[in-house]
Amino acid sequence: MVRWISEEAGEEAALLQALGIASADELFRDVPKRARVGRMGVGAAREEPEVVAEIDRLLDRNRPLGRFANFLGGRVASRYQPAAVDAIVSRSEFYTSYTPYQPEASQGMLRALFEFQSLWVELTGLDVANASLYDGATAAGEALLFCRRLHEGTKFLVPASLPWEEKSVLANYASGPGLSVVEIPYDPRTGLLDLAFVRAAVAGHDVFGVAADVPNGFGGLDEHLFELKATIGDVPLAVLADPLALTVLEPPGRYGADVVVGEGQGFGIPPSFGGPLLGLFACRKEHVRQLPGRVVGATVDAYGRPAYALTLQTREQHIRRSKATSNICTNESLMALAFVVYASVVGPKGLAALQSSLAEKARTLATALGGTDGLRAPRFEAPYLGEFTIELARGSAAAFLDRLRRRRILGGHPLGDPRPGAPAAPERILVAPASNVGDKEIARYAAAAKAWAAARGGAA
Amino acid sequence: MTAGSGYRQARWEEPPIWDLARRPVAEPAPAIPGVPERWRRQEALRWPELSEPVVVRHYTRLSQMNFGIDSGTYPLGSCTMKYNPKLSEVVARRAGAAQVHPYQPEATVQGSLEITWRLERALAKITGLPEVSLQPAAGAHGEYAALLMVRAYFRDRGELGRRTEVLLPDTAHGTNPASASMAGFAPREISSKDGCVHLSELKGALSDRTACFMLTNPNTAGLFESEIVEIAEAVHAAGAMLYYDGANLNAILGVTNPGRMGFDVAHLNLHKTFATPHGGGGPGAGVLASGETLAPYLPVPRVVKTGRRFRLDYDRPKSIGKLKTAYGNFGLDVRAYAFLLAHGEEGLRRISRRAVLNANYLGARLGRRLPRPFRPLVKHECVLSGTPLRERGVRTLDLAKRLLDEGVHAPTVYFPTIVEESLMLELPETESKRELDEFAAAVERALDDTPENLRAAPISCAVGRIDEVRAARAPILSWKDLRGAAAKVETP
Repeated sequence: MVRWISEEAGEEAALLQALGIASADELFRDVPKRARVGRMGVGAAREEPEVVAEIDRLLDRNRPLGRFANFLGGRVASRYQPAAVDAIVSRSEFYTSYTPYQPEASQGMLRALFEFQSLWVELTGLDVANASLYDGATAAGEALLFCRRLHEGTKFLVPASLPWEEKSVLANYASGPGLSVVEIPYDPRTGLLDLAFVRAAVAGHDVFGVAADVPNGFGGLDEHLFELKATIGDVPLAVLADPLALTVLEPPGRYGADVVVGEGQGFGIPPSFGGPLLGLFACRKEHVRQLPGRVVGATVDAYGRPAYALTLQTREQHIRRSKATSNICTNESLMALAFVVYASVVGPKGLAALQSSLAEKARTLATALGGTDGLRAPRFEAPYLGEFTIELARGSAAAFLDRLRRRRILGGHPLGDPRPGAPAAPERILVAPASNVGDKEIARYAAAAKAWAAARGGAA
Repeated sequence: MTAGSGYRQARWEEPPIWDLARRPVAEPAPAIPGVPERWRRQEALRWPELSEPVVVRHYTRLSQMNFGIDSGTYPLGSCTMKYNPKLSEVVARRAGAAQVHPYQPEATVQGSLEITWRLERALAKITGLPEVSLQPAAGAHGEYAALLMVRAYFRDRGELGRRTEVLLPDTAHGTNPASASMAGFAPREISSKDGCVHLSELKGALSDRTACFMLTNPNTAGLFESEIVEIAEAVHAAGAMLYYDGANLNAILGVTNPGRMGFDVAHLNLHKTFATPHGGGGPGAGVLASGETLAPYLPVPRVVKTGRRFRLDYDRPKSIGKLKTAYGNFGLDVRAYAFLLAHGEEGLRRISRRAVLNANYLGARLGRRLPRPFRPLVKHECVLSGTPLRERGVRTLDLAKRLLDEGVHAPTVYFPTIVEESLMLELPETESKRELDEFAAAVERALDDTPENLRAAPISCAVGRIDEVRAARAPILSWKDLRGAAAKVETP
């Protein structure tokens, strides 16, 4: 048995004696017999080396990303995490602390979070950011509720190209207050938003918010975003943005976004099979009282020295209870720390260079895939950065990806909704070269795709 | 100046990170071939260009101005701040755990799926609720998910139009009413009697409008709700669901469980009972455990075992769908699984026995100095009231700040709100008698200190007492705000 439960010699006896009882069992006399349980059946304790060996044995059944030529991206990015990020995140003063309820003892985390908020403000071109949410999808859900607090209506417009997972999360956030999520169709050639649809929907006076994503669910950059705010007038605009893309693209605050949310995992956080991730949220100053979640503010201490504390807490669940702007309590502070350390270690020039390099890899792959029979890459005619969509004219995305996997290539993420009963959709795959992909891996991908095409030749 | 521990937190006059380098020259971001010029960022990201050692020193200094469990006793009630085992940190950083993408083919992530499946099965046994999902990112996210499941269930039964109320005790965590509201219900608080659910009041409030009753047991007063079986019967007699807030599960492992008590659905916090680190506010990991009635509504995908293979199952027609990107917080799940393996059956039982022993010892000792509003027999935590401090012109807040000077963290204060000037203390099983005694002695020294010193506290932290009112009155929330404030000063 590992020694985490305190067991100094004789101390338990001393505690019992102080309470005047013979056994700790007496402390459970208020648990009625009818509610008692017997054995749980979770097995016997193991020593530390056995625990590590057992977990390692299980983890050996995974094949980590390093074993593949990796083209998996989308909301969870495959990028190198500089060692300095984990060195800071591993400092136990940070990772073993709780939410900074006593700010005087927790200035380190509060200051790091203030820097994190500042960074998301700089990236988005908005005014205020919170101290993190769970992930990009739940941040989008909070953006939906935030827009509803700013504007009347029952409909939230989202691009039909949004990943199905995000649509499902949004549908959940909409369901409580009886709101609906309406999909904006896209141009079948470009994948870009149908602005006429948006204009008509807003004219019905029942739209409380419009969402768009940068890049969109197909990896494309939608030039209609520059006209979107003018199209929807005083209806709030929510932009779902990739933070790395924002190091080279105009900040959404410049084209009218009222709220910008995003997934921050790509900044120094390992993919870890999907979590922990990092939800980003920023808005305009005039809406700060509608912000969900924790926020750190600068103030002074009793001696007039700079100091930081959680602030505007009357918005929050522990004060406002049922009237809170959100139920969120635990957020992703440590991941927010990783985000700001990553950006600071890599630096603005390094971040832009990384985005440029990922974009170049994506272009090289698209070129290499050109002319592959039965496969369109990119599927949509729109500018893109580090990811794009391919569409198969025949065969299934699953079979295509399985074929690539056998050649040690993770070929991308299928965009279809896997739930039985989901409407039939074209066989599309979002492809995003990882930061360690080079010309060799791109050539392997192209060769594997051509082999797939040859094997299926005429078998449509 | 009577700080007894000689404690001094580091006090670096460390500038904000943007002051560590000259302001970068405003220039456009690089152009990306194929991307139209109108997309190009005209002013490159305003953030300093720094060398790695400068960045590492900056955040190392910040870390030295932060108090964690490894720094000392952390008696936050209802937060279960127990030691976070180092071996969990090691296994979570293995490439097989961290460098795995959620969208890899199932054949390449059998290990992650098996760990998820095993942890879910173990938590099903621990909670007595047969179906478990690890998808929620945190406890409140799990609460919300559970209420969405309740909502979907009553919609299927055609009762949603009528069942619009969620009942909860006035001692409930703030997340409970907030989650109920977000899920579209009208939360209604039931007043407590002696810190516990007032059964007749609950019965009076239950009706065919009730969708759910939310309860944590032991509750936030640290008391076990001994009438739990009767409570469950009353809730079910009204046709409503009974929801378990698992924040306080640490007290009852192997003694009772939510399923046995009659709960229909529960959330647990892996960052409490299962010792995953709380990261200065998060990440957490929420567990959603369900009985048969609500299980069809759990989020997708579910992890299932077919023969010797594990796969993700999306074929759950009644499921509420997705709660977050990908699956759960696997990085935390693997830590919790290591914790579970190391403890086993006997270890889990010992956790609760020792945690409850600690809370009762601390309550008895400090109860000699401060009033205890409820009965003395508690579970994981004890609640005290700082009202006697008023005679000396000080408050619970001052006591909390004075404790920081002792090299310990303060307890949770001003919660539960039904107790005036409340202090809620939880020192879980990882805390030794020595630490309990030292903490109690620190509280006693603080109580015996002068009102002036109490009001002046803390004096040993990186900063003195913080003006939180000012922070809220004129919010400065970013570097941009600081620049704005500076500009105002420069140009009157």
